[in-house]
Amino acid sequence: MIQITDEILNKYLDGELSREESEQVKYGLSTSEELQKKYNALKLVHEKLFDMKEDEVSPAFADKIMNQIVRRKFAIPKQQKYFIVSIATFITLLCLIIFGFVISAIISSAPSSIGESKSVLDSVSTLTDGLVKTLQHLFSGKGLSIIGSVFSLLIIVSGYFFFEMQKRAKANLSNGQHL
Amino acid sequence: MRNLSDQEIIDSVRKGNESDYSIIINRYKNKAFSMLTRMLKNEFDAEEVLQDCFLKAYNSLSSFKGEAKFSTWFYRIVYNSALTKLSSQKRKIEAEMTSVEDHFNLVSEYNSVDIEKKDINELVHKIINKLPEKYSAIITMFYLNEMSIEEISEVMQITASNVKVMLHRSRNLLRDLVLKSKLSEELI
Repeated sequence: MIQITDEILNKYLDGELSREESEQVKYGLSTSEELQKKYNALKLVHEKLFDMKEDEVSPAFADKIMNQIVRRKFAIPKQQKYFIVSIATFITLLCLIIFGFVISAIISSAPSSIGESKSVLDSVSTLTDGLVKTLQHLFSGKGLSIIGSVFSLLIIVSGYFFFEMQKRAKANLSNGQHL
Repeated sequence: MRNLSDQEIIDSVRKGNESDYSIIINRYKNKAFSMLTRMLKNEFDAEEVLQDCFLKAYNSLSSFKGEAKFSTWFYRIVYNSALTKLSSQKRKIEAEMTSVEDHFNLVSEYNSVDIEKKDINELVHKIINKLPEKYSAIITMFYLNEMSIEEISEVMQITASNVKVMLHRSRNLLRDLVLKSKLSEELI
């Protein structure tokens, strides 16, 4: 004969007992008023829990989420925005530095008497020659290696930020990725 | 369209029909909201967390492998988000303290004239809201969302036998309260 505990009553209610055990519980219930009362209360609770009503969210809830989904689809994520802006700023500054350097090199190499003795055409050709020479100087030998180093650094920094961004995005989604 | 299975809707959303996701939202919003309200004990927080859950689920649809049912996957997001919210509010420790063995305190709390005046449904509702979050989550998933013990154990990442123990404890608590009330004389 099994001892009819609360656990056994719960299992009996859920139909988890073997046929033999169920018979024993049935017999126990028919002979003990106290046990019968306990079981009936448990059954009542079980039934009342099934009658439980759902709570309702605000009526516009689904629309609110769909609007957010549409908005997010067309919006660049904040982190990505910061990333693009910082890279663009860096490239712009680099270009300005190169441009400034080229202009200063041309001005310093040009003869001081451009406007006095030569025509406008000659001045333009002198400036063009200067520009070509400066660019040649910049992109050859030591200059080229400096530019290469700067761009490599740029690529490494961009790669690091991109990797970090991916990592954060993955971490944010980790809640639902296991199933 | 309403009769489509979750998997069919997800496939459609993945193909680019994102408006179909609203069917999923309407299908699960109230059930998930009920679970969150009972876990967080606050409707405002529940709605806020639920919004995040639907957005998180939408963004993670590509990672949903279909090995489990969508509902199990989604409720796991809901359950984890609720726990995260609770821990961020630092209420978790407080709630844990009133868990398991402390359920007798709840019984004594209701050991007053007040209990006699209560309607059985109201009593059940009030007690579920007072249960620790894990217990109220189990009750909601089992009775309201009609999930199996195995599905609940998958959502909560605990064994099926632990789910059963927690379910039985919650039921026993409610039973004790019913037996204490005068309602038991009328109803049993």
